[in-house]
Amino acid sequence: MTTHQKFASRALITGCLSLCLLQSLIAQSAGDVDVAVVVHPDTPVSNLTLAEVRKVFLGDRQYWSTDVPVVLLIRAPVARERNVVLKVIYQMSESQFKQYWIAKIFRAETATAPKVVYSNDMANELVTAIPGAIAFIDARDVRPGTKLIRVDGRLPKEQGYPLR
Amino acid sequence: MYTRLLLIFSLASGTALAQATASLPEQQESVQSLIDRIQQLEKRISELEDHQRKQDAARAASTGLQTLTEIQGSQEKATLAPGLHSEHAPSSTEVREAEVHYPSLQIRGFGEVDFSATNDKGSVSGFNLGQLVLHLASPLSKKVGYFGELSFTARPTGYDVQVERTIIRYDYNDYFKISFGKYHTPIGYWNTAFHHGAWLQTTISRPEMVKFGGSFIPVHFVGLQAEGSLPSGGLGLGYSVGLGNGRSSILSKAGDSGDSNDNRAWVASVFARPTRFYGLQLGGSVYGDKLSPDPGRNFGEWITAADVVWTKERPEFLSEFANVHHRDLRTSQTFNSQAFYVQLAYRLPWLESKWKPYYRFEYIHRPANEPVWDVSGLSSVTDLASSTLGVRYDITNYAAFKGEYRNNRTGANEPRVNGAFFQTAFTF
Repeated sequence: MTTHQKFASRALITGCLSLCLLQSLIAQSAGDVDVAVVVHPDTPVSNLTLAEVRKVFLGDRQYWSTDVPVVLLIRAPVARERNVVLKVIYQMSESQFKQYWIAKIFRAETATAPKVVYSNDMANELVTAIPGAIAFIDARDVRPGTKLIRVDGRLPKEQGYPLR
Repeated sequence: MYTRLLLIFSLASGTALAQATASLPEQQESVQSLIDRIQQLEKRISELEDHQRKQDAARAASTGLQTLTEIQGSQEKATLAPGLHSEHAPSSTEVREAEVHYPSLQIRGFGEVDFSATNDKGSVSGFNLGQLVLHLASPLSKKVGYFGELSFTARPTGYDVQVERTIIRYDYNDYFKISFGKYHTPIGYWNTAFHHGAWLQTTISRPEMVKFGGSFIPVHFVGLQAEGSLPSGGLGLGYSVGLGNGRSSILSKAGDSGDSNDNRAWVASVFARPTRFYGLQLGGSVYGDKLSPDPGRNFGEWITAADVVWTKERPEFLSEFANVHHRDLRTSQTFNSQAFYVQLAYRLPWLESKWKPYYRFEYIHRPANEPVWDVSGLSSVTDLASSTLGVRYDITNYAAFKGEYRNNRTGANEPRVNGAFFQTAFTF
């Protein structure tokens, strides 16, 4: 094998390895942020299973208790929190999600669709202010004044937390 | 020569690799720049919110404590006062936007344009406007809501306007919600899942057994209905029971202006949505009524139905079965008619997931001597075996094209009919 051949093959191997490493680093940095479920501090729940969270966000559970209706808050399209919710909770695409809520209201199963929030700050503030409100927030942005919900008994950043 | 070839190959590979690795960082840079931009915008929103909050606080200090109720006049609204006094009080603009005002009327429309052509002798091919549907929803308070559905159907002499549903509902909690008005009867799945919005359903038309204007099951129901979920853990049980007027003397219509006899119809249904199988729904329903289609002729009606559906789109699976039992109250003679359909669809993952092919088989059987279906001298229910093969293309999130080929046989010993059907259905 000539020097050129050796150089070319080494460059090829090094390039491939670098590419793999870069990809794994990018994937890790984008995926290691958990999405927290927060509710108004007076909401009478502190632990929900993933199936119960799904039931709430599908609008199938509409009351926390007799006098406290659930108020759904969801981030506007493109936000990472919304993508996680659509993928893990709804298991729907953006268009399926829109169609789901149009159909839900059309079937007279609920009178209102989830309210759209445009930032984690806005979600934090509305959850603090509106009784019965529930939202998904980047775990790093959760503020005091909201109540953090355990999902399947786990908090964000704990091993096995399902919303990431 | 060999060395040159290898060098050219190495250079070509290196260039290709460089291009591949260059495009990835470019994409990552684009994504990163978008993320940065979103973060900047979120930061900017925060700053604006803080600014607004300070302005609100200054205004409140100068004018005294002005309650949200005063700002909003007499409009009733969700309770938000405790939050306003907390350390992280939201800006009043945000809260005003997020809170529900009562009443809060939302209107949504559904429309369709159809084309059909068949080899049935006597039928005419061409376009028709189908139904234009307006849906109204308005929460009246935290626990009371109104829902309405109006349809405008093109007829040779003009437009036929119908109140398809009008419902006022009081929610006590998730386990008990009571409502009054006109409903789509909760028998089976389709009748309460898709209503009059053709855009919502995958196919162009409803199955024959639940067709609008059809008689096999009573599509509408006027009265009261209680519904809710049942404490059942992961089984996800729900129920619905109703009491109402049932069919009028015209079997396809509900008794909007009053019952045709002194006997009330009743309906009870139960369904399960197991949490373990998200998307699966199993249901069963029973309906009872006394029919008086002609003076002096009374029939007992007993409908039992069951459905199994998988509501996701990869695949989508819908199926239901119903048996309609009629008993002549004078002669005690009984008659049973059956109908079912099975529909399978699949949202293709390619081409932006816009294509959804589907197939449906449906079947109706009625006894030849069944008197109720022929009470007016015309057969309101006939034997049917039908296959539908089609595809739906979603042009946008709110409009779709559908194309179908149908092959069906209605009535015993009748020839099969082939047809092509097209529809654009939309919501606005």
